[in-house]
Amino acid sequence: MATVTNWIDHLNKPAEEVAGAVYPGAGSSEGILVILAIILWVGWHVLTSKSESDELERLARKRHGPNDHKSNITDW
Amino acid sequence: MTDQLAALTTIFTEFYYWVTVVLMFLIHVGFCMYEVGASRYKHHQHTLMKNTMLIPLVTVTWFLFGWWIYWAFPTGPGLAPSIMNESTALITDDSAFSAKFYVATSQLMAVNLGDHISGVFWAAFLLFSWTAASIVSGAIIERITTFAFGILAIAIGSVFWVIDAAWGWHFDGWMLKLLGYHDAYASGVIHAIAGGFALGVLMVLGPRIGKFSSSGEPRNIGPRNPWLVTIGLFLIYTGFWGFYAACNIPIFDLGPEYGMEGISYWTATNIYVTPTTLSGITFNFLMSLSGGLLAGYWIAKGDPFWTYSSGLAGIICASAGNDLYHPIQAMIIGMIGVVISYKLHYWVERKFKIDDAVGAVAVHGYAGFIGLVICGFVLNGYPASGYSVGAMWDGTTYASINPLGQFLGALIMFVVLGLIPGYVIAKVLNGIGKLRIPREVEIAGLDYEIMETAKSDEKAVASATR
Repeated sequence: MATVTNWIDHLNKPAEEVAGAVYPGAGSSEGILVILAIILWVGWHVLTSKSESDELERLARKRHGPNDHKSNITDW
Repeated sequence: MTDQLAALTTIFTEFYYWVTVVLMFLIHVGFCMYEVGASRYKHHQHTLMKNTMLIPLVTVTWFLFGWWIYWAFPTGPGLAPSIMNESTALITDDSAFSAKFYVATSQLMAVNLGDHISGVFWAAFLLFSWTAASIVSGAIIERITTFAFGILAIAIGSVFWVIDAAWGWHFDGWMLKLLGYHDAYASGVIHAIAGGFALGVLMVLGPRIGKFSSSGEPRNIGPRNPWLVTIGLFLIYTGFWGFYAACNIPIFDLGPEYGMEGISYWTATNIYVTPTTLSGITFNFLMSLSGGLLAGYWIAKGDPFWTYSSGLAGIICASAGNDLYHPIQAMIIGMIGVVISYKLHYWVERKFKIDDAVGAVAVHGYAGFIGLVICGFVLNGYPASGYSVGAMWDGTTYASINPLGQFLGALIMFVVLGLIPGYVIAKVLNGIGKLRIPREVEIAGLDYEIMETAKSDEKAVASATR
């Protein structure tokens, strides 16, 4: 996975190889990482949307009035 | 400086660090706002003063001995020989970066036309010290004496974090050589140690009155001013840019530095003098921040306090390897760190009755620890230093980054230099009756008298006719 294992050896390579990507898995893992990011991004929307809907439904069922929130204000 | 290129390089570096110090000042502004926003009205002014006064307390001790510790202790002493003088003793001889140049009586610790860097580098590290002490400050609000906090701030800010920096951040540090320790932007060197130290203090200090019910169930004492908390955390994010920049050397020729004949390679480097780019770490900073925010919003069900803190925890978790990670790796690591830290925070609170008022142990301590461990796997095999590469435990060369070394490093940061000293010092302060404010004062509020005086004065002013 390590792209560089010795900086002196690395800097001794031809200039075009030295000035390249040095992150783990360079050249082999980018596609997988992008797919993972897309899965996480979509998954986050699904999970938070469900969580938000549940919370809003629960709150709506309680049918609080427009001034009820004032009794929840803590000022101490 | 007699040639233009040397002058340009030197003065650019001087100005670069100077700017990082100004940016990092925002971290402290943010911490002050955040703590005041998190504390209850009756404690606001004392909370603010406690965090403000760490500035002079840590700064003066940092000048007197903190900076000296950083340059003297890389060898342990006694654990691995210095690459400068091949000795395992404290580095106080005539070596190029000897601690003898950084004692308070040194001519380099003042205006000196032969040295453009010492002051700004000293200040950059000082701002790291303030951050370490500030992390502890938030966890213990509303019940600690200012005196005790001052002692604890000096201990973490001018002694213990500096020892860990000498061991695991200095280019000559024994942890790099024996363990292959890597912590480019201080997951452990600042955050895990400060979080561990805070936990050690909290174990002795105890919870705020009313935090736990008689049956031991924790109660939520949420932030009293969410807007101040919001601005505070955004300022900490902003200051963190300076923190990242300050962990780099902006321009350096690595060819001669590594003894490579005829090769010149100008680059920015991390604190270990291995190549990275400001551009690359900008990707990773923002992606790990985003990973933390996404995971925090989800796990805390949209709670703003935890979501903002999770952004910070995301960066902290990825910081150990953010000089080398791919941005998506940084994002995923930030997410993992946040989920584990959040769960651990509530488990520890419930199980051990630890009242961490702002979640500092979780955001800094747990996230930093986890980040170090993950870094060992993701960067397994990368060299911990550019100077040489050898086997683990060798001591004369530098080991490669590896999972076991990072795990041991995390334990050294969180437990050995963080939790244990925090616990012991708090125990001593508690033993002499100086740790916690009286119960009656905690109930009435630290600011009671200030508020009472202000009230009578304001009444008099309001009814005054001339």
